[in-house]
Amino acid sequence: MNPDQALVTGSALLYRQGRLLDERRWQDWLALFTEDCRYWVPAWVSEQRQTEDPDREVSLIYYDLRSRLADRVWRVESGTSVASDPMPRTCHAISNIQVDAADDSSIELFACFRVDYHWRAKSDAFFGHYRHTLRREDGDWRIARQKISVLNDYIPTLLDFYLV
Amino acid sequence: MNAIHEGAPPTPDRLVHDDPAAGVFNVHRDVYRDSALFELEMRYVFERHWVFLAHETQVPKPLDYLATWIGRQPVLLHRDDKGKLSAFLNVCPHKGAAVCQSESGNRKFHVCPYHGWTFDARGDCVLVKDRAQGAYPAHFEQADTRLPPLARFGNYRGFLFGSLNPDVPPLEEHLAGISVFLDMIVDQSADGTEVIPGRSYYTFDANWKMQLENCLDAYHLTSTHPSFMNIAASRASGGSSFRNIDIADFVQPAIPSGSYTFANGHAAIWIETANPEVRPLYRQYDALVGRVGRERADMMLKTINFTVFPNLQFSCNACIQMRVMRPLSVDQTEMRSYCVGPSGEPADQRKLRIHQFEDFFNPTGLATPDDSRVYESVQAGLRARSAPDVGLGHLRGLAQVIRGPDDFAQRIGITPLTSASGRSDMQDETVFHGSYREWARRIRAGLASEVPA
Repeated sequence: MNPDQALVTGSALLYRQGRLLDERRWQDWLALFTEDCRYWVPAWVSEQRQTEDPDREVSLIYYDLRSRLADRVWRVESGTSVASDPMPRTCHAISNIQVDAADDSSIELFACFRVDYHWRAKSDAFFGHYRHTLRREDGDWRIARQKISVLNDYIPTLLDFYLV
Repeated sequence: MNAIHEGAPPTPDRLVHDDPAAGVFNVHRDVYRDSALFELEMRYVFERHWVFLAHETQVPKPLDYLATWIGRQPVLLHRDDKGKLSAFLNVCPHKGAAVCQSESGNRKFHVCPYHGWTFDARGDCVLVKDRAQGAYPAHFEQADTRLPPLARFGNYRGFLFGSLNPDVPPLEEHLAGISVFLDMIVDQSADGTEVIPGRSYYTFDANWKMQLENCLDAYHLTSTHPSFMNIAASRASGGSSFRNIDIADFVQPAIPSGSYTFANGHAAIWIETANPEVRPLYRQYDALVGRVGRERADMMLKTINFTVFPNLQFSCNACIQMRVMRPLSVDQTEMRSYCVGPSGEPADQRKLRIHQFEDFFNPTGLATPDDSRVYESVQAGLRARSAPDVGLGHLRGLAQVIRGPDDFAQRIGITPLTSASGRSDMQDETVFHGSYREWARRIRAGLASEVPA
């Protein structure tokens, strides 16, 4: 796959991911991931250094199975978590997408994100960088790895998968 | 009903109505919503007493430093090149600039960004820029040019505390009672305990005492965290390879529990753990028994939450959370949350600990966000000033609480002021009383100290 094709393919998937989250199509969002996906939101050790090893340092969110990510989706859908009731309205804006590597079975992407959200008459935002590894499975491109570096990690009340 | 400061000056007896013999204990709602009272508690509850600063493993190497707070005041911890720790206020004696702008790092000197005065890791001023040319008056030779040292700085087994007031009891005396619980964290490894890298800072829009109480509030678990309970249940029934605590067990009648208040506002609860095998520490059980004895080892495997008044809390369920509270205003609080673990534990044990921690705690976990939102709901509800000015939230267990240590306390060697043990489904609320008694005592003493002679 040439870089131009990879950029088109990768951008389409990242935009679709943002839209599925904004439209709260959680199951469709989950289906974007491979079963063995690694979904990782590192924490910060200090102002300048992020955690690098999820088994020896504490992440904000870390899963290496889609089924664990599904726990979070269940929690939001269940209506049993006061933290997601009411749900904030979100707007995922994804930009500066670059292809770091690509071949016929995988694509590595860098992108910037900003998620504005609004709830309880108040607006706020999280922003940072995405690093995705996409993998072709049965003809479809899926997310095998997603690392989300949240740059504004002084968190008002909570942060969850739908806010980044 | 007006805020009390608009009428009569606040009287601590009215703020905390404490008459357990008559079946009465309540806290005036202004204690959570009155900004004048917030000023008083910062001054008298935080800034005149021992306050937790940090754990020494947050500044592990020579010349490491960390910025922290006592009440509203910025504090720097710094380890010198010989390894000795000092603590001082982060304020330049020249113009008052904060000399350190970062939350942590490693450096030999702090150079004030304004006029370049330079301070070493002991807080001593090593350079007044262009001093010789300054035409200073003679008394400048005697001026104190240090970063102001804390009046008291203490280290209890790695836990660092400071006081802006020299007139406080020795740290060990202040911690008396609750220090056993700190010991039970430190003694989980022969090498002590450590803060695992990767911190979380967050805020919630509510009074800090919502957190103070909630850490010891067994009553909220089934109603605030049903989503976590369901996830735990489905992991158990689905044979998931990942397991964490099951909080549904915490309110079973057959599960014993205890809650204790101690002198100086400290408090603790324990609940028997139905599934100790999910705990990382359980993998060391035999070695642990050999080192600390069976009774202490079994105690370490219980769920234990405790408060070191006023700003430090531990939640020890499957893993251990260290939580530092920093009140920002009457209705906003900053939390600093850390995962703590036995130093030198095996890699697989550490990995499990970290992922259990991420699962439950932090503003990104599956439980803490529900707590924080509930605190905000309480703060919102407390705007209803026409409602009765005391609530009914400190009464569970009042008919059962006893003065002094109960049998279990005596067996494990703790010396509480009050004990309320029994079935965990009692979900005691008398465990909050001790912190409010100390809170009121400090407010009372502070106000009395301001009376003109």
